[in-house]
Amino acid sequence: MPELSGASPGSFGVSAKSRIRSLVRRHGVVSSDAILVGFSRLGALSIIAMLVVLLGVLTFAAWPSIETFGWKFLFTSQWRPNELSVPVHDAAGKVVIENGEVVTETMPPVFGALPVIYGTAVSSLLALLFAIPLSFGTALFLVRVSPRWLASPVSFLVEFLAAIPSIAYGMWGLFVLAPFLQHYGEPAIRTCTSWIPGVETWLFTETATRAGQTVTRTLPLTGRDMFCGGLILGIMILPIITAISRDVLKSVPRAQIEGTLALGATWWQSAREMLSYSRAALFGAVMLGLARAAGETMAITMVIGNKIQIHPSPFAPAQTMASLLANEFAEASSELHRAALTEVALILLVMSLLFNIIARRLVVGSDSRTAAAH
Amino acid sequence: MEHLVRQPRPVYRRYQAIKSALMKVLCVLFTACILSVLVLVTLYLLINGVRYLSWNIFTELPIPQGMEGAPGGLKNALIGTGILVALASAVGIPLGVLAGIHLSEYSAGSWLGTSTRFVADVLTGVPSIVVGILGYELFVVPMGNFNGYAGACALAFIMVPIVARTTEEMLRLVPNSYREASIALGATKARTILHVVLPAATGSVITGIMLAIARIAGETAPLLFTALGTRLLTLDPSQPFPSLTVQVFNYSTGPYKDQQNLAWAGMLILIALVFVLNLALRFTVHHMQRNRSVAAG
Repeated sequence: MPELSGASPGSFGVSAKSRIRSLVRRHGVVSSDAILVGFSRLGALSIIAMLVVLLGVLTFAAWPSIETFGWKFLFTSQWRPNELSVPVHDAAGKVVIENGEVVTETMPPVFGALPVIYGTAVSSLLALLFAIPLSFGTALFLVRVSPRWLASPVSFLVEFLAAIPSIAYGMWGLFVLAPFLQHYGEPAIRTCTSWIPGVETWLFTETATRAGQTVTRTLPLTGRDMFCGGLILGIMILPIITAISRDVLKSVPRAQIEGTLALGATWWQSAREMLSYSRAALFGAVMLGLARAAGETMAITMVIGNKIQIHPSPFAPAQTMASLLANEFAEASSELHRAALTEVALILLVMSLLFNIIARRLVVGSDSRTAAAH
Repeated sequence: MEHLVRQPRPVYRRYQAIKSALMKVLCVLFTACILSVLVLVTLYLLINGVRYLSWNIFTELPIPQGMEGAPGGLKNALIGTGILVALASAVGIPLGVLAGIHLSEYSAGSWLGTSTRFVADVLTGVPSIVVGILGYELFVVPMGNFNGYAGACALAFIMVPIVARTTEEMLRLVPNSYREASIALGATKARTILHVVLPAATGSVITGIMLAIARIAGETAPLLFTALGTRLLTLDPSQPFPSLTVQVFNYSTGPYKDQQNLAWAGMLILIALVFVLNLALRFTVHHMQRNRSVAAG
């Protein structure tokens, strides 16, 4: 944030600096200044070191998996932590039987992160779908509609949503939202969409292979699924997108708004002008929300159903990268399993770093306090 | 002249006016929607929490299902969270405040300042579960078992960038005239910072720190593979260590109704803490900003 470092209130004039220096020299008290400079620089350096250590350690710990699976890790969808015995098939596709026993071979554990990457992507996008209209609408309300006495408490309440611990949302999702979706929400959606051909099959059926046969059956609705996860994530990223886009909209020059009104624009036309004037920063706000949604762990673990699969329906249980880690890491069965999980964490980290870097570049110019507080 | 200014057709204008009014109403509706979600979530937590809150929670240890007096209380978890947060603070607050001082007072235009600020901002966005894995690799693997120190370090990792950035912002709110006056009186820069700038901002820096504490007290993900949690009361951080959030997570995802009720009550304690700290921060910052504008004007 260049504009901050440029005009820091801590920057003393050159003359003042040299004067302090001469004072220090005269009284021979070099120590206190030098000590504080040294220690505070240590603090600053430790922050940079933290990021380096984080990246270094995760890469090191994930190395066995990176070495074993390479790029395939990102594009394959089998996640099997344990060895598996399968019957050997001969060239004709028949099971080989020797001495009256089925010959089996042992398949090593395989790890492919595609289902969890898919889960993270879809749940985060669903979250954005819920959160963007609500957040931008509220930001516009706070900046252009609300009277002053109302804007401040509303802002506080929205920001308080951000401070509620993730596990609280998880509990609420698990005990309130999921049962509601299971008994009312999802059956209602089903009834409403049943007249559209194909939707029923897409949203509410699953195909399973049992005993070599493929069966299509109705999806059991548990309420704990991708949709519920997306909703909870959406609620959780509302405050950050709202707070930042409010600050961004506030910083639109007054002349810009007055200009549109002078040209005879209606309220909405001028509001749209504001939105398009600050579209880069608003995009940044959305990116920050996306990063938050992708890394969110506890709430999503409690409501997404925890099933590693790629299912086209949002009403099927799924798994995200973060929830996979929460579920499996503490009880990882082998070194390779742990390394594969660490690689998932590394992907998550790199992704969130990228989102954050892009977002913060875009949001430069908005209130940095809000950005820091979130 | 008149022919140059083409008036829009009235129908079009009316269409635009209606559209504008509709969008305005929509904005109000969206705001109401967000607020009602907030009310729904907090009310539910509040009602359930209050219903199951009792003194036993503070005074009793968890009792396994099936035994008399189950599910007991959350004493061990509350003490555990207290100790974890204290340990994390002991590392995180000094580092964070020092970094904040550097950012606000020493870093004008320097390479280190700009990049530290950027890295701190980026670190606040790192998923907390990833930090948990770092804690596992750095502390659990070498020590051979899940332990409280690993959990505390993971929490400190989350705390440092937050404390650094809030400290920086709070120090920036101290009017520059204070610094100039101090230096005019012949104080060194270190003296100015320690005796003038920091005292002027103490209240708000402390509130910022409290906010960071509220944040880490509510963290669950970094503790899952570091402190792990235990049903016992332990004061030894080199062993698996209990914490309120992990216990609430285990109870609420478990099958027993009694334990779920206990989880609601535990959640309420956390939320109450967070709410008070947030309110405090808001008032201090407001106060500081007003002071600053008075001093500047």
